[in-house]
Amino acid sequence: MQHKIEHGPAFAWLRVQLAAGDSIRAEAGAMVMRTPDVQMETHLNAGYRPGIFRVIWAFFVALLRKLLGGETMFLNDFSTTGANGEVVLAPSLAGSIVHKRLQPGQRLFVQAGGYLASTGSLDTKVRFGGLRTLLGGEGLVLLECSGEGDLFVNSYGGITPIDVRGALTVDTGHIVAFDGTLDFKVGSVGGMKSLFLSGEGLVCRFFGQGTVYIQSRNVASLASWISPLLPG
Amino acid sequence: MQFELNYRPSHSLATAHLEPGETLRAEASAMVSMTRNLEVHTSFRGRPGAGFMQSLKRGFLGGESFFTNTFTAVSGKGHVSLAPKLCGDMVVHELTSSHELFIQGSGYVAAPDSVELDTRWQGFKGFLSGESLFFLRALGQGPVLINALGALETIDLDGELILDTGHLVAFTTGLEYEITKASAGWIDSFLSGEGFVLRIWGRGRLYVQSRNPAEYGKTLGHKLPARQQ
Repeated sequence: MQHKIEHGPAFAWLRVQLAAGDSIRAEAGAMVMRTPDVQMETHLNAGYRPGIFRVIWAFFVALLRKLLGGETMFLNDFSTTGANGEVVLAPSLAGSIVHKRLQPGQRLFVQAGGYLASTGSLDTKVRFGGLRTLLGGEGLVLLECSGEGDLFVNSYGGITPIDVRGALTVDTGHIVAFDGTLDFKVGSVGGMKSLFLSGEGLVCRFFGQGTVYIQSRNVASLASWISPLLPG
Repeated sequence: MQFELNYRPSHSLATAHLEPGETLRAEASAMVSMTRNLEVHTSFRGRPGAGFMQSLKRGFLGGESFFTNTFTAVSGKGHVSLAPKLCGDMVVHELTSSHELFIQGSGYVAAPDSVELDTRWQGFKGFLSGESLFFLRALGQGPVLINALGALETIDLDGELILDTGHLVAFTTGLEYEITKASAGWIDSFLSGEGFVLRIWGRGRLYVQSRNPAEYGKTLGHKLPARQQ
């Protein structure tokens, strides 16, 4: 499988070349186009869990992921029987796409709604950044991605990878993804006063060694700017 | 008439350079600035001789404003700059008498009066997809300015392609299409989030936008407060 990220940083899309036997999984609604020899198969976004109540279980897991994790309830698998199929995938908002290859044992945390596509045995689980993050209204809900394969994450705005050696503080609304090797703690910039008055809301403090991917714009800020402009 | 494009692809701006006597027709509200020697007329008309009903048809079916502004350079050369509503790219398609161009609803920005615009009725199939599938049919000769949400990809197709309806901007004659289910089954097609797709085949050019306006609105809409009744 070969891939190319084009039209970035403002309106990036992911172009994937599939050979026979290759397969890529993407969030529902992400397909822009595909060649006729590429098949699409839809299934619940519930990981790989065998068992007799599999379908019922999968339904609730998928629902939970949609409601809490900002993910789509269904995922589409694209594969081909031909020699060179092509599928183009795009996120819904303006922004970039970043590619990360995960090895077994490696983990990447992705901001809710950031998942675009993946290959191989990659699996995702919903994780919370702690109770305090939910109280802040800017809730930090994360997807923990593990397994082996390629992962494609989308952002709102441009993506900058930052190598953390020691510590880094990031506004929670600007986090795209970060390595599982990093420890993190969510809190306010200063005390309670700064939480409400600094305009910074919540921040995430990272410790240790690893990469943090940040985005140059914040969707929550866009929404709060646009809301008062809408007609009643 | 020459079009000059700047600030591509995110915030593209087009400037039409008019020779003396030339006339440009542009979508209402697209004008940004213009020279003083341009005469502006606002009309219902899609083309000379067309009546109110035809412009109404254009407005309701084509997703376009049914007012059109015409700009005519009356003494000497002039220019007018144009901007679409959405963030994204614009391209100029050179229309010749050998083919026609079908432009999806909001994709049309401007063209000289040597280009005629007409609405092609798509039948009820278009309604099922939840995305308006009405096309403006451009015929004649001259440059046609089209716009997109996001980047614009030009594809010279010789074969077949399956395309999400919300990503299609325009295509030329020589291409045939049908609206079809995204997957083999009805339930899967619905759940896949793709719903209906276009199967497009033949030989011709098509323009694809990298973002889907309906999806963009839906994603952003979920983050906005509910509308008060």
